[in-house]
Amino acid sequence: MAAEGTLRPGGGAAQLALNMKLIGHHELAGFGGVGEGINLQKAKDGRRILWMAHESAPKNFTAVDVTDPRNPKLVVQTDLPHNDVRSNSLDVVGDIMAVAYQTKKWGLKPAGMDLFDISTPEKPKLISHFDASGPCSRGAHCVFFVDGEYVHLTSGSADFEPTNPKDDQFYRIIDVRNPSRPTEVGRWWYPGTRKGDSAPPPPRHPKFDGGYRPHNTNSYPQKPDRVYIGYIDGGVWILDISNKSKPKPVGHLQYSPPYNGFSHTVLPLIERGYLIVSDECVRDNGEDWPKPTWVVDARVESNLVPIAMFPLPPAEIFTKRGGRYGSHNLHENQPGPCSFRSETLIFGTYFNGGVRAFDVSNPMQPKEVGYFVPATPKLAPKGSAQINDVWVDENRTVYAVDRFGGGLYTLETTF
Amino acid sequence: MPESLAATRDALAGLIPVSIVTGFLGAGKTTLVNRLLKRPEMNRVAVIVNELGEIGVDNDLVQVSSEQMMLLNNGCLCCVLRGDLQETLRDLFIKRRNGEIIDYDRVVIETTGLADPAPVMQTLLTDSMLRDQYRLDCVVTLVDAVNAPGQLDQFSEPVKQVALADRLIVTKSDLAAEQPLAALMERLHEINPRAPLRHATNGDIELAFLVDVGLRRRHADLEEVERWLGAEGDEGGAHGHRHDENVQSFVLRFEQPMAWATFTQCMDVLTALRGPDLLRVKGLVNVEEKAGPMVVQGVQHLFHPPLELAAWPSADHSTRLVFITRGIPRQVVSDLFAAIGAVGAH
Repeated sequence: MAAEGTLRPGGGAAQLALNMKLIGHHELAGFGGVGEGINLQKAKDGRRILWMAHESAPKNFTAVDVTDPRNPKLVVQTDLPHNDVRSNSLDVVGDIMAVAYQTKKWGLKPAGMDLFDISTPEKPKLISHFDASGPCSRGAHCVFFVDGEYVHLTSGSADFEPTNPKDDQFYRIIDVRNPSRPTEVGRWWYPGTRKGDSAPPPPRHPKFDGGYRPHNTNSYPQKPDRVYIGYIDGGVWILDISNKSKPKPVGHLQYSPPYNGFSHTVLPLIERGYLIVSDECVRDNGEDWPKPTWVVDARVESNLVPIAMFPLPPAEIFTKRGGRYGSHNLHENQPGPCSFRSETLIFGTYFNGGVRAFDVSNPMQPKEVGYFVPATPKLAPKGSAQINDVWVDENRTVYAVDRFGGGLYTLETTF
Repeated sequence: MPESLAATRDALAGLIPVSIVTGFLGAGKTTLVNRLLKRPEMNRVAVIVNELGEIGVDNDLVQVSSEQMMLLNNGCLCCVLRGDLQETLRDLFIKRRNGEIIDYDRVVIETTGLADPAPVMQTLLTDSMLRDQYRLDCVVTLVDAVNAPGQLDQFSEPVKQVALADRLIVTKSDLAAEQPLAALMERLHEINPRAPLRHATNGDIELAFLVDVGLRRRHADLEEVERWLGAEGDEGGAHGHRHDENVQSFVLRFEQPMAWATFTQCMDVLTALRGPDLLRVKGLVNVEEKAGPMVVQGVQHLFHPPLELAAWPSADHSTRLVFITRGIPRQVVSDLFAAIGAVGAH
């Protein structure tokens, strides 16, 4: 007899699903570790091409034809120049793709951003490289590029010397209207993180010093005068960027400590005046639990009020399933023909908690409405799936990617 | 993109359907459940029974088991009702979410023979946690062809079980004489004229008869709505004056839209004065200024919060309310609507 409460075939590593049905899977030619760059292009020939940045070397990015999401096909897979750089993040607008490059140590190259012409998906053509290397720079961690004109970049630069080594990246606005000559037009950093600032360096997180750097820097065409930043241990920032050369803070929320830092993505529900904020779990086995996804009332930008957390399955069970368990990336309501946009349905990734969907119609009581946790992928280093990022298309097909070896999962939703 | 895949959630589509199998002592519920459990299409179904031992599933069908649950080779989970149903359904969902049991996508509940199904139905209509995860799909009542006539005369539970049913299954028809069987069929029709009826021997019944009866999406089509509301006909009739505690089944139709307050005030008055006798109400209400009909369903004094369908399933936009009552005649309810909302039924 089995102990009560373990009645499922295959034990705890089996697939779990509610209202999300696995319809396709692709292991990306054995390089199934994907970072947090995923974007769906509608190619000129009508194909739908999913672009994914890899979590780490040796691969740079991979494109998969998901015109039939039940039968994804590899289109192209590219290599990085060396193993001390990772791409991690990308975005696509039309036929132009921006890819971030971050090095393991300061001073290495390539560090910054590439722009590619992907009009022929099989043959991405480099248009330009935006160099962000420097003696105190690891380059760029994250791009947000949705309007075809400006890349909102998390990056270091040659002229930036941080007060703490972990604070080496900041917010940069890069004008790419001429994609062959990307140019910085504005920047902002957390006061006190750059040597020479009049403000004192900010206090380090007492338990988990993740650093004061932006992670995601989201800005949307329907509200072009705002950027929403998850500033890791610096919390949530809203900047007024109506004058791009002088970003100006208009809202700030700091909830760590007592929480464990690493504010990651700030997704604005622009019509309703709320923010969905995901923290990133960065430690295995629940060491930095809780890493919530928050609902924040932003109807008054200068007074951001957390009002709810997404209901996640119990930590005492999932933190024992191996690897990380907690919040990470969200589908970010990107503009474009192949993106799902909703002010009430939010999709997020939770490492071994898989990809999960929530209804925030009542912002004070978010409801979980679906989830998919893959069965443990072959040779999974953490002993579990580690779902890292998600894209949702306009048909509400979900594309979820694993951080290590699981590759791409395509899912149908039934809610 | 179809609207069902739009930017908002379909409040019905993601819920796990629940079928309730009821019937008086000896009606064959356990036989039916036992037969259902062995069918290949029962994978990912959680069946809640009173006792695992009674089910009598062959050992070679059991993959793993504990004292409270067993997992069968076809992927079906069998679980004992413990404490109350509320607790069992919550516990099952929590275990499902934690990955401790199979990802069941349907629940079948076998009630005890003496059970009044109304509280079981009410649990699904009113418990806010359960309502977020489950929906009442179907009440299936088994009726023993040999013993039911006597039981219906002697006890109130079997009458109520028949009255509340979405589906009726008459068992042991092969053992009943022709004339009494015909009389029983007539009596069942009188108590519940809208529930489709089948005969089954040794629990042999198509699964399709028992499932997908309730509304399962906000974009329900006409066929789905009609399947839920039951067979058309006998719109204005009242039944059951001769027998069975005066159980009546009738339909009220209103051509004109009504204010939502009219409907709720009528139901408030009815449930306050005659709650125990308002056995079941279900239907679509055409509410002023709403694009789609409001789906309403209640069991005695408790109602599910209303849901708006995305659109009317046909050109007929009239309010249709099916009432099954004990001793509340159609005229009384109709007069109430006229008095409160000045809306006339026909």
